[in-house]
Order: sequence, then structure tokens, then C-alpha cells
Amino acid sequence: MNPAASAPVKIDVRGLTKRFGDLLVLDNISFQVARGEFLAIVGPTGCGKTTFLNCLSKLIPTSEGDIFIDGRVADPRVHNISFVFQEPTCLPWRTVRENVAYGMELKRFPAEKIRERVDTMLGLVGLSETQHLYPNQVSASMVQRITVARAFAVDPDLLLMDEPYGQLDVKLRYYLEDELVKLWQTLKATVIFVTHNIEEAVYVAERILVLSNKPTRIKAEVKVDLPRPRNLIDPAFVAIRKEVTELIRWW
Amino acid sequence: MAYEEVKVRKPLGLILLPFFSIFCFFGAWELIVRLGIVPATMLAAPSAVGNLFVEKLTNPNPDGATILVHAWVSMQEAFLGYLLALGIGLPLGLFMGWFGVVRGIARPIFELIRPIPPIAWIPLTVFWFGIGLWGKVFIIWLGGVVPCVINAFVGVRMTNPTLIQMARTYGASDWQIFKTLCVPSALPMVFGALQIALASCWTNLVAAELLAADQGLGYLITMGRRLALPDMVVLGMVSVGVMGALIGMVIDQVEKRLLAGIRR
Ligand SMILES: Nc1ncnc2c1ncn2[C@@H]1O[C@H](COP(=O)(O)OP(=O)(O)O)[C@@H](O)[C@H]1O
Ligand SMILES: [Mg+2]
Repeated sequence: MNPAASAPVKIDVRGLTKRFGDLLVLDNISFQVARGEFLAIVGPTGCGKTTFLNCLSKLIPTSEGDIFIDGRVADPRVHNISFVFQEPTCLPWRTVRENVAYGMELKRFPAEKIRERVDTMLGLVGLSETQHLYPNQVSASMVQRITVARAFAVDPDLLLMDEPYGQLDVKLRYYLEDELVKLWQTLKATVIFVTHNIEEAVYVAERILVLSNKPTRIKAEVKVDLPRPRNLIDPAFVAIRKEVTELIRWW
Repeated sequence: MAYEEVKVRKPLGLILLPFFSIFCFFGAWELIVRLGIVPATMLAAPSAVGNLFVEKLTNPNPDGATILVHAWVSMQEAFLGYLLALGIGLPLGLFMGWFGVVRGIARPIFELIRPIPPIAWIPLTVFWFGIGLWGKVFIIWLGGVVPCVINAFVGVRMTNPTLIQMARTYGASDWQIFKTLCVPSALPMVFGALQIALASCWTNLVAAELLAADQGLGYLITMGRRLALPDMVVLGMVSVGVMGALIGMVIDQVEKRLLAGIRR
């Protein structure tokens, strides 16, 4: 499961295994992600996608195996890891602008750099106008954009996204997916995007890992070599979507 | 985009009802004493208390000070105890909520001390502080510090765990999480403590002034008992009640302002 040989390996997951007591959730998962790659991970609900990201980000310990970033064991204090959670994680007492700055503040970026980066990010995600409002004064899609902007702002080595648009309606989702791809192309981050929505995965990713049911392994790897912006009704797009759907259904 | 406030019109009867209720309460009380249902040696009529109040505005006898001096002294004691309760209780509660070491050290002691009513501390207080101002402040402080610790503690414990995880993925230290997540999350509970702690301090005032005091509203009540003057006892009680209600209203306004400031 090697990424395109051209780009250097950024993320190296080796033998990742996670048990909760007797329950084996992740079973010896290994793969690599190239620098600047956009990888999607799809799998049925409850197969352990969130658990998997929690292990990658070191929020919970692994039972066996480990994650290496640039050849070193992943560590949130050393590497820039960003995590966009399924549920909104804006701080209600901070303005939009202050929320976008939060990750950089935690990482003690210099004030001048924070100001610059926040301005750039607000412009990229179209929040400049609303930067002085509070999260409860903006719409649900804007709230998720704040967290995406905050995640990209720290110039992450690894950006993890856990079904970030799962709770938004379809139209908004297409819009935000386009925006996400644009951000990724502009800022060149390495992204692991988790979803149970196959169409979404094919739309955003360069490569898709398909997970099995529990105990979860990587069942297949699908390359998505389509030009952008992608077209949902392009026969090549539909073919890949069907391929992934079949992979999830057959086990 | 401002929403127009929905105005609910209150019928005149409902507006007047509280006044009517107060009027009936005092009217019935006056009648009970006037008609001799309860003898005047056991309960003073509102009119007698009112007369005494007017007299005590200027006359320091027989208890040694005017009512305003008593009230002022009580206020000072209560607010000193209150401020110390906030200054010590809130940080302690906040730290206990987030730092396991502080919780491990302070919680067992706190849980042991908490059920002891402040009044039970009076003898020890006399040994430690004598009978001056600081003894009274200590008793009042004991009453106020408990709700401060509890509210601040609970406020921190209610911090959304997903926010903490989010901060962790950015490599946040324990101190950064405490400062940027736990404290802001606890603020509504902390503001709630302002009100509760003050009520608690004020309630303990009379107990504190059981310590040999020579001024204060609690002292006025004690003196009324010693001199067998029911109107003085009732005047002291009513003063404690009215002032407590007034202070409560002020703090309520302060709390609303503060909350509006962080909630927007
Ligand atoms: N803290 C935990 N303790 C025990 N079991 C857990 C825990 N977290 C997740 N699981 C189990 O792991 C499995 C995968 O959960 P999760 O990673 O949330 O799935 P997904 O995100 O793919 O929907 C579920 O069966 C769940 O019951
Ligand atoms: Mg999940």
C-alpha cells in the first residue's frame, strides 16, 4: 500500500492495533501517506474510524504498533497535528477570529505571525466579514469552516478530519468540499479524511482506503485519478463510486 | 438584525398583587399584636418596630450605637468575609476541578470540613482570633467559601471533553487547557457563586456576631433579647432581612451584566 513513489513518505502507520478490553477494533493496520497527499478513509459506521483517528492523533494509546511522522513517533507536542472533529469544537466565548487563532496560540506562534495567518485563513474560507461575531451568531456551515480554518492555520504536518460535514445538508456539503480541496491545494497539507459517505470520499480524495467491518482491517485501496473540479455524473467518477460501494458491501 | 422584543402585557391586578400581599402580611401582624392574640412582650407590632427604627436613626441608646452604625459594621464584616471567600474559594475550586494533585490533597479535607456548620467553629475561633473583627470575618468566610469551592469545581468539571481533546491535538499543556478552556467554561457557575456565597455570608452574620460583639445587626438582636425588648429583636431581624434582599438585588444585576458580557 505505497503511495505514488514520486512524493516522499510523510506518515507511516505500522501494525496499528487497538483493543478495548476484549474487543478488537483495529487489527494490525499498516499504510503510508505521501507528503501533501489527500487520503480518504471510508468504512461502515461503528467499524472504528473515530478510534483510528484518535490513535493517529495520540488522543488514546494504541495497543500495538505506532505512527511515524517524518520518521519520528507522532507526538502532538512535537508535530503539528490538526484534528477537525465530527462535532463542532468552536469556543463559544471567542469570536470567529479568536477561534481561528486558537491553535496557533496554543503552539505559541508569534503574535505578528498569528495576525497574518488569521487574515489569510479568514480570506480563504470567506469569514472576513463575520470575524468579530461569536460562533452562536453564525450558521452551522460557518462554524465548521472556523474549525477547518483553525486546523489549516497551524500549517499541519498531518490534518485529520472525522466526518466534518456529516451533519450538514447536501448542498452546503458540496460547497464546503470544494472549499476544502481548494485549501488543500493552496496550503499543501497532508490530509486524512474519514467519512462513511462514499461519494464524498471520491469527490475529495486522491486515494481511498476501504475499511472492513470489525475487527477492522484495510480491505482495499482505490486510486482516484480524476481531474478537478470533479463531476459527480462523469462516468469515470460513477465507476469509482460503484467500485468502492461494492467493496464496502462485499465481505 | 434586531428582533423586536415580545411584549407581554401584565394585567394591573398582577402588578399590584405583591404590594397587596405585603400590605396584608403587615396588617395581619399588626392586628394579631393589637388584639392581644399574641402579647406584646412576645412579639412587637410593625408600628412599634417602625417607631423604634425612626428613633434608632439618631439615638444610640440603650445598645450603644445607631441603627446605621450597626448596619455599617455588619456590612463591613460581611463583605470582608465575602471577598476573602471569593479570593480563596474560587481559585481553589478551579484548581481542584482540573489538577488531580490539588484535588487529591484538598478534596478529602474539604469534604470533612464542609458538613460542620460555621457556628460550631465559634469556640475555636475565639481561641485563635479572640473576639475582634477577624474572628467574625472568619466565621463569615467559612460560610461563603464552601459554595465558592463547589461552584468553581463543578464549573470546571463541566468543561466539554471534546474541546479538551481538540486542544490536546494542538499540543496544549495542562496549564494552557486550564487557562483557555476550563476557566472560561466555569465562568457561568463562578458567577452563580457570587450570589450564593453572599447569601451564605450574610446568613452567617448573626452567628458571627454571637461572638462578643459591641456593634452590628446581630448584636442588636442579642441585646434586644438581653434587655427583653421584642421590638429591638424584630428591628434587628427585619434589618438583616431587608439589607440581605437589597444586596442580593445588587449582586443579581452585577451577575447579569457579567454574564451578558461573556455570553453575548
Ligand atoms: N472508549 C471505548 N471503550 C470501549 N469501546 C469503544 C470505545 N470507543 C469506541 N469503542 C468501540 O469501538 C468501535 C468503533 O467505534 P468508532 O471508532 O466510534 O466507530 P466509527 O467512528 O467508525 O463510527 C465501536 O464498536 C465502539 O463500541
Ligand atoms: Mg465516528
